[in-house]
Amino acid sequence: MSAPSGDTPLTAANNIQPFLVLHKAAASSVPSSHARRRIQTSQPSSPSTYLADRCHDAARVQCEDEGDLDLYEQLRLEAFQQTWSKIQSTIDEVLKGINLKLFDQVLQWVKESFSLVRAIARPHHTEVQQSYPLLTDVICKRIPTAFILTKNAEFVDDITTFRDLAGHLESNGCHLAKLSATELSAKHGVGGCFRSLLRQLLSDVPDVAGVSVLASWYCEAENYDKPIIVIIDDLEQCSGDVLGELVLMLSEWVIKIPIFFVMGIATTLDAPKKLLSSEALQRLEPWKLTLGSPSDRMNALVEAILVKPCAGFCIGHEVAMFLRNYFFRHDGTITSFISALKLACSKHFSLEPLSFLCVGMLEEDCEEFWRDKFEALPQQIRKYAFGFPSCASAKISSNSSNNIIEGLSKLLRLQKDWGSVLLCLYEAGRHDKVQLLDIFCEAVNPDLQTENVLFVSEVTCESLSGVKSGCGKRSITQVINTIRHLPMETLLHVLEVWSNHLKGMSEIGMSEINDKVKELQSTTISADSVRLAKEKWTRRSAASTGNGTDPLNEKAAVLLQDVTRKYLVPVECLPFHEIICFKNVDVLQSALIGNPRRMVQLDLLKSQSHLKCSCCRNGTAVSGSLHDTSIMCNLAQEYGDVINLHDWYMTFEGIINSTNSKAKRKSYSSPSKKKSKPSSPEGKAMIQARFCRAVTEMQITGLVRMPSKRRPDLVQRIAFGP
Amino acid sequence: MAPRGARAEAAASSGSEDEEEEAGFSRSYFLAKEKEPSSGKKRARAAAGKLSDLNLVDEQVLRASLAEIPPKHEEEVDALTRSYKDQYRNWLFELRCGFGLLMYGFGSKKQLLEDFASTTLTDFTVIVINGYLPSINLKQVIATIAEMFWDQAKSKRKRQPGTRSQLSQPFPSQSFDDIISFLKRQTSDDVDDQVCLLIHNIDGPALRDAESQQCLAQVSCCPQVRVVASTDHVNAPLLWDKKMVHTQYRWSWYHVPTFAPYKVECVFYPLILASGGHAQTTKTALVVLQSLTPNAQSVFRVLAEYQLANEKEEGMPVSSLYTKCRERFLVSSQVTLNSHLTEFKDHDLVKIRKHSDGQDCLRIPLVSDALEKLLQELG
Repeated sequence: MSAPSGDTPLTAANNIQPFLVLHKAAASSVPSSHARRRIQTSQPSSPSTYLADRCHDAARVQCEDEGDLDLYEQLRLEAFQQTWSKIQSTIDEVLKGINLKLFDQVLQWVKESFSLVRAIARPHHTEVQQSYPLLTDVICKRIPTAFILTKNAEFVDDITTFRDLAGHLESNGCHLAKLSATELSAKHGVGGCFRSLLRQLLSDVPDVAGVSVLASWYCEAENYDKPIIVIIDDLEQCSGDVLGELVLMLSEWVIKIPIFFVMGIATTLDAPKKLLSSEALQRLEPWKLTLGSPSDRMNALVEAILVKPCAGFCIGHEVAMFLRNYFFRHDGTITSFISALKLACSKHFSLEPLSFLCVGMLEEDCEEFWRDKFEALPQQIRKYAFGFPSCASAKISSNSSNNIIEGLSKLLRLQKDWGSVLLCLYEAGRHDKVQLLDIFCEAVNPDLQTENVLFVSEVTCESLSGVKSGCGKRSITQVINTIRHLPMETLLHVLEVWSNHLKGMSEIGMSEINDKVKELQSTTISADSVRLAKEKWTRRSAASTGNGTDPLNEKAAVLLQDVTRKYLVPVECLPFHEIICFKNVDVLQSALIGNPRRMVQLDLLKSQSHLKCSCCRNGTAVSGSLHDTSIMCNLAQEYGDVINLHDWYMTFEGIINSTNSKAKRKSYSSPSKKKSKPSSPEGKAMIQARFCRAVTEMQITGLVRMPSKRRPDLVQRIAFGP
Repeated sequence: MAPRGARAEAAASSGSEDEEEEAGFSRSYFLAKEKEPSSGKKRARAAAGKLSDLNLVDEQVLRASLAEIPPKHEEEVDALTRSYKDQYRNWLFELRCGFGLLMYGFGSKKQLLEDFASTTLTDFTVIVINGYLPSINLKQVIATIAEMFWDQAKSKRKRQPGTRSQLSQPFPSQSFDDIISFLKRQTSDDVDDQVCLLIHNIDGPALRDAESQQCLAQVSCCPQVRVVASTDHVNAPLLWDKKMVHTQYRWSWYHVPTFAPYKVECVFYPLILASGGHAQTTKTALVVLQSLTPNAQSVFRVLAEYQLANEKEEGMPVSSLYTKCRERFLVSSQVTLNSHLTEFKDHDLVKIRKHSDGQDCLRIPLVSDALEKLLQELG
């Protein structure tokens, strides 16, 4: 690429047009590959800041064989799409599963309400379309309304819930329409909102849309005799007047056209009372429901997508810790957690050249898959595969494909075992409100093996048991300690779940452990009849909580400790894990949380680190050779809340002039050097122009605000301290 | 959603005086605590230098010099911009994965993004939105996108004869929601059918309101649309709520400082050393003009057209403005013209100065580009 100013000559028209079509899609892919080649031939001048060095090397390794580059990129893209669609469908299933009970309740309510409405009157088609009320004994004008308490301060998580609910109801023979807060706003009015309701039900909406249109649509044979459900997902955001009007309007028709509301409430059940007029409120027949908490959903999700290897892709310890903190401290929504995970996944497939092998984890015959793929790889990439740090530490040096296939198979096997053990831990830990995400984060810690966190004596365990699970450390220890104090009934249940989890494990040693679990189970049962045992144990354990533990609990704890030590091998300790495991937390963080407030200021204050010029010294004094806006930003740091323009300008001029005079002095000694700035009036205009531009640039970046009319000499600083 | 946008707008553009005062007070309190008492507001007051004390050059000279500012660090800036070329591949990959790219960091990113689009996004149809302009009609933009999809579908149908459908009415006359729902229905496995929206300054003055952002967010989550955008304002993230960020835009942030001068972006900002720094912007001028009578608007138009035609001159003499306006039946007497002119002067729409031959001259304190834009907007 040539100088950016000269590369694509941009005409003035292009710059002041609000929008333009830059180019249309190329008909064939030939020019694109040509362009790609051009990118590759350009000399990389400075290493990119956020690509890990290794990835950069890897990319260059690939560059040597250019034809393959596109092919492997395509492979990785496909692998990403395959992997993510698997993860996404798992997520959808899990969330749907969690909500299914609630959805069924809603459906039941819909059916009951519908039969109730129909019991009052069963209007004939012709009657429905008439605009005057039906002649019945009872005049019913109340719309059945389900208020769903979401218990989420942040609404974004409930979007999917309501979407799934809509799907569920629709598939069970209801007409569905959704109204959002933007539609129920004062701007659109009740007319606009009714129109959008019609648009979702009718295929063709006439220009003049009234309830009669809806009535005649409802009378069509295929539409009749089904309830119409209107979902309003965030009630608090809606305009009360518009909603009230809609309620009043529809309530007049409720016998003829059975429209029911489902409304999501984020705060408390008072919300409708605050929002709606009493008249509108009277027209609603309320019914209340509550959704599950975000942490329940989180545990289910972690189990399905991170612990059970659902798609082959996994995350390293640092990334896990980052995501955990992002969830608990920063955001608290499942949606952002998932989008962060998706970003991590795409970064993995984008940066790791061999990541397309990941899909092999999903194949029936994964070894065959890997063999095919690996043997087709060019020599360079093979070499790269054996250059993984994990291979170096495992002392795998020979270059044969058998090695990598073995390595990957072992990885797959051990991951499964790891997941099973983790679930055993969680099963015990959930009785002490330990979050799965916490145990997960600890279990992927590669220091787990070396640190011997599991060999903590019981005394330390005791002292730790008071520590809340939120701290994210030593959850495993806490879990093991929990077992020691579990009542017998619960312990029996836990053991049963364990044997289920351990059944699927592949290692030979696992069956041994499973036997041990069975043995434990049988000891408790054979001791007496089950009930007697339970009573006895509960009584005894209740009595003995203070001074010791039961032998059986102790045995279970020892067993779990043993299993954990042997089989809870974090993925980062295994060779070739780089292929399936994303570890680059910095890349993820910078892509996920852009921090313009800090970064733009840092850019300006430390411009040398980006420009890498030789003229600007890294000293404390502001040099005149710096970028103009950079000088101004540095000067602004010395002011407080407001900056006096006069002073600011004088200092700026001083700095520029001192540099110019230095240059002048230099130019005396070496006449070949550039001529110094022209003297006074023109020079002054130039300095003022530079000052103006720098201030405007700071205004564009939002670092200062222009002076107000009242105080024309002062600009206001907006951002403080990077 | 709405309050968020409003808050962002307040933070980004200049807020009301009271707000300013209040925020200023609390902030300077903490600053005074932090630093020694001599710094902060006190110091600014104590020095009390006035802008008028400076020997300021004439605005036209200033604008002339502005165009001739010698570039600093030209090579380094080029090298920096070039260094991002290595990442084009990864950017494309992420775009294909379904993320939107959001570029931030100091320096104009217009060239960088357009270079990326023209070298790497060749498989996409690329539509550029210049968000730094004072006003943009987003409906036109989405209507254009919709037309593009429609044409694509039409050419496909030609190739494979089958059912033909007719567009009920042209896109520009359809409602916004209808166009969006049309866009949402567009699905295709063919990557060549995708459209990439390249939005310069998605936080620009025209796109800063909640409604525009909602609109862009809705477009960006259409299956065949991808977004590459740049932001410059430090408070840009305040424009979006979680729903927009995680389910619609799906941003992947990239820090790409270029240190390239904001040449085109700067045009629509007033110069701080000219007209006291609170000069007209097209936006404020437009607001004022729209509130005036059609006749007053026409008078302004006469003046503006004269200024555009005679850029070199110092201004339009009042007498010739009067003659022109009488010719067009805009004013009936000098008194009515004067009342219009007073209105203009009060709102800083025109400046009066003495011509070299002694008579009063009128000049609109806007550069030609901005003035043209303003006339367009005024319609």
